[in-house]
Amino acid sequence: MSQILPMQYLTPGETGCVLDVDGDQNLVRRLGEMGLRAGVAVRMVQPGRPCIVALDHQRFSFRGEDDAVVMVEVDRN
Amino acid sequence: MSTVAEPASLLTVALIGNPNTGKSTLFNALSGSRALTGNYPGVTVEKKISRMTCGDRAVDLIDLPGTYSLAPRTLDEMVAVNVLLGKQSDVRAPDVVICIVDASNIERNLYLVSQVLDMALPTIVVLNMCDVAAARGIQIDVPALSKRLGLPVIKTEAHRKRGLDELRSTIVSVAAVAPTHHLDRPPIFPAAFAAECEQLGAMLTSLGKPQTPYFLLERLLLDVGGYLEGHFVDGQASQLTAHLVGARERLAAQGVKVPAAEARLRYEWIRNILEGVLTRPASRPVTVSDKLDSFLTHRVAGLVVFALLMLGMFQAIYTGAKPLMELCDAGKDRVGNVVGGWLPAGMLNSLVVDGIIGGVGAVLVFLPQITLLFLFMAILEDCGYMARAAFLVDRLMTRLGLSGKSFVPLMSSFACAVPGILATRVIENRRDRMTTILVAPLMSCSARQPVYVLMATAFVPATTVLGGWQLPTLVVFGMTFLGALVAVPIAWLLKKTVFRGETPPFVMELPSYKWPSPGVIFNRVYEQAREFVVRAGTLIMATTVLIWGAGYFPGDHSRVDELTAQIEALQADPTRAEEHAEEIDDLVSQQNQMRGQLLEESYLGRFGHAIEPAVRPLGWDWRIGVGVMASFPAREVIVTTLGTIYSLGSSVEADDRNLVSAVQAARWPDGRPVYNVPVAVSIMVFFALCAQCASTLLVIRRETNSWRWPVFTFCYMTALAYLGALLAYQIGRLWS
Repeated sequence: MSQILPMQYLTPGETGCVLDVDGDQNLVRRLGEMGLRAGVAVRMVQPGRPCIVALDHQRFSFRGEDDAVVMVEVDRN
Repeated sequence: MSTVAEPASLLTVALIGNPNTGKSTLFNALSGSRALTGNYPGVTVEKKISRMTCGDRAVDLIDLPGTYSLAPRTLDEMVAVNVLLGKQSDVRAPDVVICIVDASNIERNLYLVSQVLDMALPTIVVLNMCDVAAARGIQIDVPALSKRLGLPVIKTEAHRKRGLDELRSTIVSVAAVAPTHHLDRPPIFPAAFAAECEQLGAMLTSLGKPQTPYFLLERLLLDVGGYLEGHFVDGQASQLTAHLVGARERLAAQGVKVPAAEARLRYEWIRNILEGVLTRPASRPVTVSDKLDSFLTHRVAGLVVFALLMLGMFQAIYTGAKPLMELCDAGKDRVGNVVGGWLPAGMLNSLVVDGIIGGVGAVLVFLPQITLLFLFMAILEDCGYMARAAFLVDRLMTRLGLSGKSFVPLMSSFACAVPGILATRVIENRRDRMTTILVAPLMSCSARQPVYVLMATAFVPATTVLGGWQLPTLVVFGMTFLGALVAVPIAWLLKKTVFRGETPPFVMELPSYKWPSPGVIFNRVYEQAREFVVRAGTLIMATTVLIWGAGYFPGDHSRVDELTAQIEALQADPTRAEEHAEEIDDLVSQQNQMRGQLLEESYLGRFGHAIEPAVRPLGWDWRIGVGVMASFPAREVIVTTLGTIYSLGSSVEADDRNLVSAVQAARWPDGRPVYNVPVAVSIMVFFALCAQCASTLLVIRRETNSWRWPVFTFCYMTALAYLGALLAYQIGRLWS
């Protein structure tokens, strides 16, 4: 069953597909330019605040606030 | 008849790329020699240009700041755009653009390439770090990529200097061909967008503007409320805005929703370009970086490593630099003696020896320490650890309303606030950046050390406490962290009042770990050290001369000079010097007394007496007051000034026993000693918190583009220092 949740709630090692990046326009574009955009797969490396997520071979430290929410879709049974 | 080859003209080549793509390494590998660095006029964006040769052509290579995008939102990006468009007045328009791409992360990197393509300049794509990509099982069909992009694509491994010759010859051949629009390359934006750009261009021309480059038209349409809209057309701003709003509505109706459309369309274009060109393994192999990260960013182990690293670094800086600093010091005294011997006794001699050599030398002595700190920072930065450190402290920084990005600037400020403040440029959020700039001078820079050392050596009993620690050492250590401790509530207060705002989200790329590149590190350290020396040679020199003047005039120094001549005459004859030893000592002490009196009567001395009432509550006498006043331009001046004041001449060092015993012997008119432990602590606390550094204040002025902030910093820190010193003295007095 697929579930939709904010990226920071992925469990360690879990991979999700980014559905939507929402929030402040400038921030959303900055994230897009860095590669974090709808359609890419992100893997949780280290949860927490900030968390570390991997996008292919890139790693980002990410601490989401109200003005930047990354929603991901995961398959959870 | 032979044809005479036309003299090949100078080529200008701009190098652009994402951060962490090996751009600096490529720049160094290509240019070989050291680059000319400076700032672009009016802005504090670093300008780096190097002259090199490609075949028989001389080439100016411009290194642009590392950026993810050319949508100008920060100063760095604006400068990059201006340079590429040839609008930056002090650099020639580039003939060729080299866009460096990290082969192991090609999709994201092609985003910037796609924006550079919109500039319609002759472009070369450099595929760097191919070895890393290959190790990860990523394969790129380079000829196919080159064909799809319609551009030369060169594979390089910059750190092994591979692929450079091919790149050099390509630069020359690309420059020789007039730029053409490669129609075989798929368009990024739909036709409707291009039509809107054309309309916008026509509209701007009708307003009397010269023809606008296509790239800027594109940016005007895409960047809602962007940098350009305000800066671009002054006067007709409302007309432009109205047109842009209309244009964006028309585009939205056709399915191109600005601003979301840009990223979507560009990534779609990238996917098409890479279709069949890029092959990736089905599963992602575990890399060395992954293994390192599981340890170095670990909640507990990571913090332990981080703390040990910082501790080791400071330890190494203080102990490692010591012999070099002593050497510098000895060198300075040597120069002072030699030059002093050449010049006839008198005003010029005093100006050069006491003023210039003494003052500037006192600052240059810190060069080894600062260079060492720069070296550590450059290594940590280049190998990729700094980003992890910022990640580790983010949790702590959010409590203050800041983010992990403030960490590196604050850390650098422990060496010197100037590079620290410059390092705040990476903080995108303005409120965070301002807060960081304003608290950075509270970090205990290396110039504060001599004051702590002098006071602690003279007045803190050298007992051993807590199992083997020397009490003076502990006091110096405590003072070093006092500023950082005070910075915590100050930063919190600033974020709650002047720079109120949400804690900004924190997104930072953690680059793959790599071995630091010696060339890149050498260049970085060299540049920073050079900047430090230049500052010492200009600003600090000017202020020391000023202070020297205030301390020298209006007294009559002829008697002092006569005594100097007498002493020298006696010392000149070694046989007589021995029998006249007593006479010499007598003359020297006479001379010292005279010097002290002259200083007391000088402008500086009169001023000191005038302000004495203000510093009395801190436990200070007029001499300390003068010393503090004199060290407003640069705090390290206090040691030299106290030296002069205690009639020892200006060449006094922090751990000089003479100065130590002189301050111990200083008395109030009623015979009580001037200094005791509370006074010493009061002085140390004052220096830990005060803003006595003109360079820092000038850098704040430059970075914030306003006098308001340096004035604010100066006032709040001075008030804090005064209060802190007052508390320290009054509480200390009750105690003893």
